[in-house]
Amino acid sequence: MQQAEVFAGIQDVFDEIFLEKVVVTPELSAKDVEEWDSLFHISLILAIEEKFGIRFRVGEVEGTKNLGELANIIVNRLNDK
Amino acid sequence: MDSSKSLLESHDRVATEPSSVVLDPKGLKDLLRSNDPLFVKLLKRKTQEARSFSEILALNALRKRAQQTGLWPTSATKLRLAIIGASSLRPFADLAEHYLVVLGGYDVQLWSGDYDNYVSEAMDDESGLYISRPDLVLLLPSERRCRYSGKITDPIDVQEAEANQAVADLLSLVERIHDRSGAAVVLGNFRLPSHFDPGPMRNSGLTSDYSFRKFVNTQLGLKMPVYAHVLDVEFLANRIGTLHAFDERTWFESKQPFSSDLLIDVAREFTQVASSLKRSAKKVVVLDLDNTLWGGVIGDDGLEGIEIGTTSPRGEAYRDFQQALLELSSRGVLLAVCSKNDHEKAIEPFLKHPEMVLKLSNIVNFKANWEPKSENIRQIALELNLGLDSFVFLDDNPAEIDIVRQFVPEVEAIWLGEDPSTYTSTLRNCRQFEIRTITSEDQERVNLYQREAKRQELLSTATDMDAYLQSLLMTATISQFKTIDSPRIAQLINKSNQFNLTTHRRSEAEVHALISDQSYISFTVRLSDRFGDHGLIAVIVNKVEGAELVVDTWLMSCRVLKRGVEEATLNEIVRVARERGCESVVGEYKLSPKNAMVRDLYSRLGFTLRTTTDTSATYSLDVGSYVLKSTKIEIMERAYAAG
Repeated sequence: MQQAEVFAGIQDVFDEIFLEKVVVTPELSAKDVEEWDSLFHISLILAIEEKFGIRFRVGEVEGTKNLGELANIIVNRLNDK
Repeated sequence: MDSSKSLLESHDRVATEPSSVVLDPKGLKDLLRSNDPLFVKLLKRKTQEARSFSEILALNALRKRAQQTGLWPTSATKLRLAIIGASSLRPFADLAEHYLVVLGGYDVQLWSGDYDNYVSEAMDDESGLYISRPDLVLLLPSERRCRYSGKITDPIDVQEAEANQAVADLLSLVERIHDRSGAAVVLGNFRLPSHFDPGPMRNSGLTSDYSFRKFVNTQLGLKMPVYAHVLDVEFLANRIGTLHAFDERTWFESKQPFSSDLLIDVAREFTQVASSLKRSAKKVVVLDLDNTLWGGVIGDDGLEGIEIGTTSPRGEAYRDFQQALLELSSRGVLLAVCSKNDHEKAIEPFLKHPEMVLKLSNIVNFKANWEPKSENIRQIALELNLGLDSFVFLDDNPAEIDIVRQFVPEVEAIWLGEDPSTYTSTLRNCRQFEIRTITSEDQERVNLYQREAKRQELLSTATDMDAYLQSLLMTATISQFKTIDSPRIAQLINKSNQFNLTTHRRSEAEVHALISDQSYISFTVRLSDRFGDHGLIAVIVNKVEGAELVVDTWLMSCRVLKRGVEEATLNEIVRVARERGCESVVGEYKLSPKNAMVRDLYSRLGFTLRTTTDTSATYSLDVGSYVLKSTKIEIMERAYAAG
C-alpha cells in the first residue's frame, strides 16, 4: 500500500469523526484542528487501527510529529504483513 | 459471537421508533446543521446500536454540540454524578455521561476525579468530590493493588485475612463517601486476569490475582450495604471474554482502565444501574400461546399434536422457555396470556397436557379470543390495575409485535424470533425484569393478585360498604422508617404513580438518609386482612417546618384504595404533628400524568385550600380542631413506638 492510499483512508476516518471538514495533509497535527483534543485523539487512533487492521506499538503514536509520520508507520506495518 | 450481538441489539432496540428511519452518521451532521428535531431520535437510535468506540465518541460530540445549540431537549431529571478511580477517567466519564443523557434521559452534571486520587478525594471532607454535592458516586478502585502481597507458601488463613482486609478497606471507603455526601455509591469490582500464569495452581489458595480478585468480588457482593451497588465489571469482562477485556498498551500510554470494548460495556451497564435506582422493573409478561409456549397450533394440531416436553428437541426448547417463565413468576413477575384462540381450546394444554410446566394457576389473567392483541393487553392492564408501561409482551409473530408497538407503545414488545431454542436466552437478556433487591412483597405479589380477584368477587356481592370493610378484619401496622424496609420504601417511592400526591422520587440512599434526619418524620403502613398480608402499602414523609408539618410524600398502593387506609394515615399524620408541637398540617398536590385519582384527596379529607395553580394545589389542616376519623382498620402499632 502506498502513502496516497493511506491518506485516503485517514481522510475517511476524519470525515467520520470530525464534525467540521478537515482536509488531511502530511503536515497536519493536533494543534491545527480545534476539535482535535485528547478525547478525539484516542478515538482517532482506534478508528485508524480498525480501518487498516493494524495495531500501533506502545509509544509509537506519541513519537510522531504529524500525520505524514503516522502514515509512514501504517505503510511500513502494512508492507511487513 | 453473532448470537450474543443480536441479543444485545434486541434489548437495546427502541420499540416505538419506525424502522424506516435511515441510519447514516453523516445524516446526523446534516440534521444538526439544519436544526432538525429528527436529529434527537436518530442520535438515540445510533447510540443504542453503536458498538465502536470512535463512533460513540463521535455521537457524543454531536450530542454536545446539539446541547449547545438548544436542539437537544433538556431533561427534568437532574443527576449530579461524580466519578472517581485509580485510572484516567476520560474518556470513560464521557461515555458514561453520553449514555446517561441519551439512554437514561438524565440531565447530567458530571464531576470526575483525578487519576488515582480516589482515596484522598474520598477522605478529604473538602475535596471537589463533596463540593460537587453528588447524588451518585461511581468508584472504580485500583485493580493493580487488589492482589496478594505475600508468598504462595503462606497459610490459607493469612491469605484470607489479607483478601478480607482488601474488602473491608473498599467497604469503608464506600461507607465514608455515603456518610459524607448522602449519595448512592456504585462500586466497580475487578476483572479476572486472562493470562495463564500461575497455571493449574491458580485456584489453590488466594495468592494468584485470579483467585484473590474472584474472592474479593464475591465478598463485596455479599457485604454491600443497602445504599451501595456493585457495578459488575467481572461479569462484563467475562461476557466479552477476558482476552478482549484487557489492553495493556492503553494503560501504559494513557492509564485507561479497560480495553475500549469493555469501557463501552461498563459505561452502558453503569447507566443501567443508575437508571434502575430510580425506575422500577416490569411487572407483567403477556404471552402468546401457539409457537410461543408450545410448537404448533392448538386449534389445528390438537392436544396430541402440539410440541411440548422432552419427546422432541423443539418440545424441549419450549419446555425450557416455560421453566424460565416460571422462575420469573417466582420472582414476583406476573404472567398473563393473550392469544388468538378459542378460550376452551387455549386452556386445554394447561389443564390436560402432562408436559406443560406452566399451569393455569401461574397465569393471573388469561385472554384467548379474536380481538386485537393491543385491545386485550389494555384490558389486562385495566383488570390488574397496573400501568401499561409495566408490561412486556412476547410473541413469535412479528406482525403481532408490530401491532402492539403501534397501538400500545407503552408496552415493551419483544419478538422471540424463529428458533425456540433462543427464546430462553432472549428472555434472560432482555433486561426488563432486573431487580436490585428482592423484597418479600415481590415474592408474595403473585398470591396477592390472586387474592385481589377473590376480594373483587366479594365486593361485587356485598351491598353495604361498611359491612364489607368490617368483614375484611383489617389490621394495620404503622412504623417509622427502618433500614430493613428501605429497599421496599424506595421501590414504592419510585414506582407509585396513581396514588401519589407529589411524586417526589428518592433513591434508596436518600430514603436511608431520612431515617437519621431529625427534621423529617416518616412512616410506613402495612395492612393485613383475612385474605392475606398486603405488606408495606403506604409511605409518608413529613417535614417539620416551624409550626407546620409539611407532607412531602404521601403515596399508597392502589390495591388497598378506599378501605380506610387514607383516613387511618391522616389520623397518624395529625398524631405525629401534635407530638412535634405543630399547629397545622400542610399538604400539597402536584399534578402528574398519572395521579388525577388523588386530585381531591385533601379536600375530601377536610383540608382547606390555601393556594392553587394549574399544576398544583396547597392545603392546610388545623391540628387543634381535628377530629379522628373512624375506620374499620385495627391499628396494631404506631410510629416511633407510640402506644
